[in-house]
Amino acid sequence: MRLKRGKLATDPVAFEAFYRRHVDAVTRFLSRRVDDPHTVADLTADVFLAVLDSAHTYRPGRGSEIAWLYGVARNTLSSERRRALRESQLTHRVSGRRPLDGDDVSRLEERIDAERPARAAFEAMTGLPDGERAVLELVVLEQLTPSEAAAALGIRPGTAMVRLHRARKALRHLPFVMEGIPR
Amino acid sequence: MRFEEQLLMDLKTEMTARNERSRRVGRRLLAGAAVAGLAAAAAVAVPLLTGPGPAYAVSENPNGTITVELKEFRDADKLEQDLKDLGVTADVAYLKPYTKCRDDRGALAGGGYDTPEEWRASVHYKVARPAGKSFVITPRYVGEGQTLVLEFTENPKGPYTSQLNAMVIEGSVKPCVPEHDPTQLG
Repeated sequence: MRLKRGKLATDPVAFEAFYRRHVDAVTRFLSRRVDDPHTVADLTADVFLAVLDSAHTYRPGRGSEIAWLYGVARNTLSSERRRALRESQLTHRVSGRRPLDGDDVSRLEERIDAERPARAAFEAMTGLPDGERAVLELVVLEQLTPSEAAAALGIRPGTAMVRLHRARKALRHLPFVMEGIPR
Repeated sequence: MRFEEQLLMDLKTEMTARNERSRRVGRRLLAGAAVAGLAAAAAVAVPLLTGPGPAYAVSENPNGTITVELKEFRDADKLEQDLKDLGVTADVAYLKPYTKCRDDRGALAGGGYDTPEEWRASVHYKVARPAGKSFVITPRYVGEGQTLVLEFTENPKGPYTSQLNAMVIEGSVKPCVPEHDPTQLG
């Protein structure tokens, strides 16, 4: 199912459907990057807020919905964006500390546990140049195709392939970098 | 309730509040044009989520001014051309939230301004004024060899949907180099 452009931020039914399709993918995406249940929950809220902010950038037909969403999630996590969010959302009703009950915490902890190898991979990538790391993350960790990763990052597929090749070469001693490459 | 359900409810509340706000925003527009330090900026309401269709509408008024209604932040080049056809050389930049163009676009016509009062008296203030969901350009403030520079920063959060920084540049205009701007209207 594809969304119409813009509808996502104005149509509650379309947004709810989008949210339900992807909320698990987003918490997994975040569990591959941070290891605290509360932070995962707070960042999930921030990512979906960013979806509302960025809905107008979604172009049906240019990359998959999930690729676009991962692009939004990566931007949300970037330090610049985090700083801006903190400055602008001090009294925000959605952002900030999300209430979690015991069940939530244990579900998130299980998820975080399951993503331990991926988090190790994510940490191993921190030494790479930003552009290369971005492609490698989306391809190896998020299982996007190189062209989907290119769409998520707003770069050309050829550029993504080149960066992927360089990144893998730099990290060739790490087995997970060569594994899990779809299609 | 699982936190995912609670979050969905909060997000839908937020979405409703934003949609309400974008309907109300027109009336609040002129309540306070912001002068943050010496960076003079005016706020324009641009309903951003209108889907397919023209990105903006340009119309000439009987008194010689030009009204531009922005619907989406795209097709800047086309807008520049349309303004050129109406006799105004313009440079339009659309910026992401919390960014602005580096403050080196060129020489400000009339030597610029140092205080909010001077800004309000200057061509840079008068040349493009917010008016409801549109803004109005007064072409006579853009002289021969001068360019009207319009920098719109998207504003995802506050009561304004974008922030306009307008100026008249004498001679050549440097391209916009976006940089972080923590002072954006909230």
